[in-house]
Amino acid sequence: MIINTAWKNVWRNRTRSMVVITSMTIGIFAGIFTVGLMNGMMGQRLDAALNKEISHIHLNQKAFNDNFDIQYTLDDIEKINAAILSVEGVEAVANRVVINAMANTATKSMGVQVLGINPDQEMTILDLDQTIIPGTGSFFEKESRSNLAFIGEDLAKELNIIRYKIEQSTIDSMRTREVPDEVLVKLEPYIGKRFSSQKAFQKEMKSLLSPHESHKYARIILEESWSFRSRSKMTLTFIDKNNIQTGGMFRIAGIYDINNSMFEKSQIFVLNSDLQRLTGLNENDYHQTIVRITDIANTELITESIIEKFKNLEIQNWKEIQPELAMMSGMVEKILTAFMVIILAALSFGIVNTMLMVVLERTKELGMLTAIGMNKKKVFAMIMSESVFLSLVGGVVGMIISWIVISLTASKGINFVGAQEGFEAMGISSHIYPSITNSFFIIVTILIVITGILSSIYPARKALKLDPAEALRTE
Amino acid sequence: MKVLELKNVHKIYNSSDIKVHAVNGITLDFEQGEFAAIVGPSGSGKTTLLNMIGGLDIPTEGEILVDNTDLSKLKSSRLIDFRMNNIGFVFQSYNLIPVLTAKENVEFIMNLQKWPKKKREKRTLELLKAVGLSDRINSRPSKLSGGQQQRVAVARALASKPKFILADEPTANLDSKSTETLIEIMEVLNKEENITFIFSTHDARVVKRAKRVITIEDGKVLTDLRN
Repeated sequence: MIINTAWKNVWRNRTRSMVVITSMTIGIFAGIFTVGLMNGMMGQRLDAALNKEISHIHLNQKAFNDNFDIQYTLDDIEKINAAILSVEGVEAVANRVVINAMANTATKSMGVQVLGINPDQEMTILDLDQTIIPGTGSFFEKESRSNLAFIGEDLAKELNIIRYKIEQSTIDSMRTREVPDEVLVKLEPYIGKRFSSQKAFQKEMKSLLSPHESHKYARIILEESWSFRSRSKMTLTFIDKNNIQTGGMFRIAGIYDINNSMFEKSQIFVLNSDLQRLTGLNENDYHQTIVRITDIANTELITESIIEKFKNLEIQNWKEIQPELAMMSGMVEKILTAFMVIILAALSFGIVNTMLMVVLERTKELGMLTAIGMNKKKVFAMIMSESVFLSLVGGVVGMIISWIVISLTASKGINFVGAQEGFEAMGISSHIYPSITNSFFIIVTILIVITGILSSIYPARKALKLDPAEALRTE
Repeated sequence: MKVLELKNVHKIYNSSDIKVHAVNGITLDFEQGEFAAIVGPSGSGKTTLLNMIGGLDIPTEGEILVDNTDLSKLKSSRLIDFRMNNIGFVFQSYNLIPVLTAKENVEFIMNLQKWPKKKREKRTLELLKAVGLSDRINSRPSKLSGGQQQRVAVARALASKPKFILADEPTANLDSKSTETLIEIMEVLNKEENITFIFSTHDARVVKRAKRVITIEDGKVLTDLRN
């Protein structure tokens, strides 16, 4: 009966209740959707890091990571592989030759890390073969007499391997992407002209187009004008086994894009056989073994098991290699819950204000209820229920809207094109797929109820302090 | 049988520098089934006296015994329960809960007393029939006239079968026809349920129908007449 009366009281002043409910709905939707985006972003970053960049566990000589000295190879790699694979929960292993090098093209040089890999083995650990930019080659699929290198998009741009060129076919393609004729007319004089860097091309386009045109079409123009010269080459110079500077010419096997500019600029994949040959290492000389496990929840357990087997080697799991990832995955739920608490705390002031008005307006009625025998517990329960209903109705509507919007955007994602460079600098794709767990909705529901209860305490105490005889005299 | 006894009841209000003796040594008792009116000019102490009888205010001195229980000695929480179980209230401005229907308003106290649903519904329908509102049980107060709302209030006051009903100026906001109807209903219920009605009023038509008229002035009983 108290609950029933409280529910009906919520709708006594519809306009006022709807203002509170709407603010709650907007607050909860904004909070959950932001949490969904952050969650999706963090999930994607973790997924990219583990499946495209570092894998789960690394094993190498203890001093190797200090300066990547070529001498620190692993002994008896077959035995190591077999021992790791015998650990329960290990899915695959791959061996790498790792050296620091300088990548050079005719116009530019960059410091890089060269990873000598066996492509078949590497594909059991990382999904790099799925990140190749169409039209740029393959993940070491074609055999070649040249040394092959699989490089990142950002390194290719830095080394001017990717160039920008406008041709008639580029203009036609832009037309199909609804670039207006007045923009295309401006581009026609550039047909046949080649830009060796993205920066130079962007600068030219900026001077050519109006700010509005630039804002709307610059990205399409950039994407369509992008070109890659097949059979591009670069040289890699490095120190060989005898500490003598050496190097080799590498043809670009393919270009990968993992939306992490730092990784793309610094990591080059080559065949381990080529690298072993050029550095004078033996066929079975490897610096590093990377491990993929079936369930990341068992990371610590499996790491411990491998450490037990190789006490004289350095074994690091992904949490140790990239502590910020570990912190992110461990703290994400707590941080996002704290974020919701802050939003609800702000919203609670609106509820407190409304409930204080309710008590003030209903002084006479509350006096009557006490007079006819409604005790303090029940008066408190009624005020508290009203407050909880107010917050819960808005909260539930907000959660339903968030769920619908997140469900609609989860499959296709949201592309923050304008902020792409910023996102990729942090190693995150600008195309974000919002995601939220069911458990988070449960947490939010509990938080909403707590907000309703806490918001009711002050107004309810005011109601309890009313003297029934005095309250009945109010008009 | 005495349902209510007032023994030398005083109520003094102390404001900053003035002492107001609102009730000044009133001694009265009420038998079961009485139909009594308390009359007197404004400021004579009627409402203060009714508030003290109803346990909404505490006397400065003296005793108010309901069924031999001294109201001033009950703790606040027990006093609320005592009021719920022993005293019915009818207010001048009806004071129904606007979001509840006539039926729900009458049931409210029985709900607080945790009556079983069937028993509660039976009693509610009986009372609404007795006050002539069988056809308006699902109407909210805003859909009822002032007289009808006050009849619902009377039914609500009777719902928990209290020892007596206190009505503070119950007809003050009603037209003459509604006043007549309400008084008739109260008289019938007084007879049929043998319940004590104590009401304060200014209305001469109501005073004429009372079986006992207590006149108070300056907080003292001037006359106590039985018809």
